[in-house]
Amino acid sequence: MSDHLSHAILSALADGELTPDQLAGANRHLAACLPCTSKALYQSLLKSATAKAGQRYSPPAQLLERLASPASRTNSQLQQSGLRVMQISPLRSMGRFGSLGWAAAAALVLVTVSMFFVQRAAQRAERASAEHVALVTEVFDQHVATLADSEPLQVISTDRHTVKPWFQGKIPFSFNLPQGLPSDTTLDGANLTYLHNQPVAQLLYSIGKHRVSVFLRQKSGEAEGSDMPTDRSGFHVMGFSSTDLEAIAVSDVDPARLAELVSAIKHAQTGDRQESK
Amino acid sequence: MRLPWKHTVRETGPQTSAFERLALPLLPSLYNIAFWLSHNAADAEDVVQETFLKALRGFDAFEPDSNFKAWIFRILRNTYLTSRSGLAARRTVALEDELNESGEFGPAQIPEAAIDRQTPETNLLQMADRAALQAAMETLTPPLLEVILLCDVEEMKYKEIAAVLEIPIGTVMSRIARARLAVRTALEAQQGSSREFRA
Repeated sequence: MSDHLSHAILSALADGELTPDQLAGANRHLAACLPCTSKALYQSLLKSATAKAGQRYSPPAQLLERLASPASRTNSQLQQSGLRVMQISPLRSMGRFGSLGWAAAAALVLVTVSMFFVQRAAQRAERASAEHVALVTEVFDQHVATLADSEPLQVISTDRHTVKPWFQGKIPFSFNLPQGLPSDTTLDGANLTYLHNQPVAQLLYSIGKHRVSVFLRQKSGEAEGSDMPTDRSGFHVMGFSSTDLEAIAVSDVDPARLAELVSAIKHAQTGDRQESK
Repeated sequence: MRLPWKHTVRETGPQTSAFERLALPLLPSLYNIAFWLSHNAADAEDVVQETFLKALRGFDAFEPDSNFKAWIFRILRNTYLTSRSGLAARRTVALEDELNESGEFGPAQIPEAAIDRQTPETNLLQMADRAALQAAMETLTPPLLEVILLCDVEEMKYKEIAAVLEIPIGTVMSRIARARLAVRTALEAQQGSSREFRA
């Protein structure tokens, strides 16, 4: 069979976008062509997988709050929410009230500015909290995916002198691995992965029969709250941040034992670097 | 291309509740696309907020029987293109010109070796790794990324995507095919590099 289905036709077939004539022709071809049938199956699988992988980011609650009922809010609320289109000209309103108006305007400015900073601080706190939730979700997903994945780790070694150098040139930062680990804890290897579009080192440890993922990434400056321990679906998430690095660990092991490992890794970053390299 | 929602006559004033009823359910989708394109939360929020603002302003010109989702996604896309991250992306990659817009693939764009190298079973195994697929999607240029997100994630028909992006349907078809090929190539490259190290 010389004329195989083109990539565009196979793709449109997966999307259900072929015309009836094209579809009939494609079906006739697929009935007799195993390679094209295999490619058509691949296109469908890829479409399904992309649909799932593409649903990645959720809007923070405060964004929804800001966008709901913008037209029904008062002008001051709009100012706080950042929607500035419906503002009334302050000069026009001041002209009506003379000196009393100036005083009222000054008071209004003070109140507005105060409200702005209060609101901004609250929004920052909300954003930090939302980012923390998103981060926990992402590391949890990646840890579970690693546990479920039949593919071996990208670097398999219990030797920190093998694991750490493997990341050279792959991530824009460096880190230390602890020389001594808590009892019954071993380094299994590592993966290069991504969190919020940033390359991160995913270190895999075993504590007894429990697997632990420790994600190390460059500190972004806005990342707050990574130290907050969190539980999710029976897994424990905890972390730390140093001057340059942020770490987040996830496992279903006993939280106290997870804390020991996190503490050892933290000490490796902040302690005697020569000893822990 | 005539866009069905483009009206020059304003019929009624802004209908905020009707707008909210149509727009707010689309917020997660709009934010997701905005984040994929702009690569950070703050820019995504700005783009979505500006999109809502523009859509609310122009809502009285929106024809009720036309496709609201396509309309607001087109506003989002245009807002992104003029945003800081959109302009930065355009400086580093030609959004329109670098693509072969003929709607057909020539042999040069489809390396057969890339297609036949692996079986669907091994690809399926690789696709089970969501992080790997997301990393592969991140390698797509904005025109390919947006078309694959609209098609696969938003489940838009080619006709709707053509309206959102203001391009012919044939170009939509070729871009989607090209995007999937690029994702596959990136997945193969990932597998290749990890195999290389283990060897």
